[in-house]
Amino acid sequence: MSVHAETLLTVTDVSRRYRSRAGGDILALDKVSFSLGNGEFVSVVGPSGCGKSTLLKLISGLVPPSSGAICYRGDAVIKPQPGMGIVFQSPVLMPWLTVLQNVLLPMKILGSNSVAARERALSLLAAVGLDAFTNKYPSELSGGMQQRVGIVRGLIHDPGVLLMDEPFGALDALTRERMGLQLQDIWMKNRKTVFFITHSITEAVLLSDRVFVMSDRPGHIVREFTIPFERPRNYKLVSTSEFGGIVDQIRNLLGASADV
Amino acid sequence: MFDRKIKWDWRMFPLRSTLQFAASMVLLLLAWALAVRLLKIPSYVLPDPVAVWRALVAGLDDSPLNRSSFWYHLFDTMLATLIGFLIGALIGVAGAAVMAESETVERIAFPYVAALQSLPKVAIAPLYVIWFGYQIDSKIAMAATLGFFPVLLNTLQALSSVEPEKLELASSLNASRWQKFWYIKFPNSLPMVFAGMNLGIVYALLGSLVAEFIGGQRGMGVLILQLQSVNDTAGVFAVLVVLAVVGYLLLSIMRWVQRTVVFWSSNPRDLP
Repeated sequence: MSVHAETLLTVTDVSRRYRSRAGGDILALDKVSFSLGNGEFVSVVGPSGCGKSTLLKLISGLVPPSSGAICYRGDAVIKPQPGMGIVFQSPVLMPWLTVLQNVLLPMKILGSNSVAARERALSLLAAVGLDAFTNKYPSELSGGMQQRVGIVRGLIHDPGVLLMDEPFGALDALTRERMGLQLQDIWMKNRKTVFFITHSITEAVLLSDRVFVMSDRPGHIVREFTIPFERPRNYKLVSTSEFGGIVDQIRNLLGASADV
Repeated sequence: MFDRKIKWDWRMFPLRSTLQFAASMVLLLLAWALAVRLLKIPSYVLPDPVAVWRALVAGLDDSPLNRSSFWYHLFDTMLATLIGFLIGALIGVAGAAVMAESETVERIAFPYVAALQSLPKVAIAPLYVIWFGYQIDSKIAMAATLGFFPVLLNTLQALSSVEPEKLELASSLNASRWQKFWYIKFPNSLPMVFAGMNLGIVYALLGSLVAEFIGGQRGMGVLILQLQSVNDTAGVFAVLVVLAVVGYLLLSIMRWVQRTVVFWSSNPRDLP
């Protein structure tokens, strides 16, 4: 399952230090290495403050690594480039723009806000059940709907990798489960590479081809799990013993590292 | 961009609170009239409300070309207030934008802004009369000065307090500085810009009046001084009533513009 023909992104011995307020150096990430295959869904779980979000910002090019290298399609990532789409924990929509205008904002920034882009936005919005809301403003939408707009915006410029930083963290449990399955739908249709950060072990195992478990600071990948289940998956899978076994292993690893 | 209409809603003026307000006003006027008569307060100290009403009607009924007409003076005061406010608000927004975008400019300019902000600005009025003369120019300058500061400070704060994720989103797409400003920072700051303008319009009216007190030829401030010099206290009260109504109207118009432009802001800061 995890054997992907083409490697899209490689992270090699990447470390990241921060200058702390006290003046000392804090090692947030310590020699992290992995690669993402084209079309793969990879999740990262780890305790709070283990550098998961830092890792995401490094991949996006928003933050440069202190050492090591990140390569996307063979080129070093040294600054942001439109091959990545980002989805944040909160929807981060512009309240003065309609749903459609929000989704098209990246195209406007990239200077390619064409009729084709508009068509693409409308079909993506329809795919997540928001076709009736394209001209509404964010304040008229529920939290789950807003986050779907955020996901569609992350996909609008057809990025190679979709980076998601705890995208369902602010939603209630039920909405969260639905959104996870909907994300699986979108992913199966588009086969984008997804790099997904989450606190929920169940969510990670359910949605991913591979799950990386990170340790407490300085963050590094302790172990990598390959998730074998067939797609499409649903929440019935959660009660199977095989699924539970993987979840338990991850939980034990995290428990040994820190409380989650 | 701002194409959403505000629906008119009669609940903006609920009947019950309107009636309550009217009743309280009638009571207040009655108490005032009774107090003046029973306590035999001289009319140059506190005039009878009926005398104020007569002065008000006389002032408003007069031909606008006549120097004793309220309209004659009100026109000048309003013109100075509106022009001054527009100049002050424009310079305030533009100045804040430059300061927010350039750390060097902000580092150099901010101490001056802070110093001027703590200066009681009405003290500049005599200087403006020297510089700009006794006509409308010094009133405009004073209105602009007083209207400028709340707009500048609010805009500056708003432009430098954008949620970091909004900017990260733009950065992740390699947005230029212009794009970040026009697509994100500026629209994001508009609710607070308008909160500043609500203060600014009231201050601009204050500025016009101060300039008229100091060295005006024409205007509501001049009228107040003229009426005071002949002990026409009822007339002074009548002018104050007009000014209160005008101030309220100005603020109402500002709020209407605010609700229309920044329709997404659920919490436009309310003012007394």
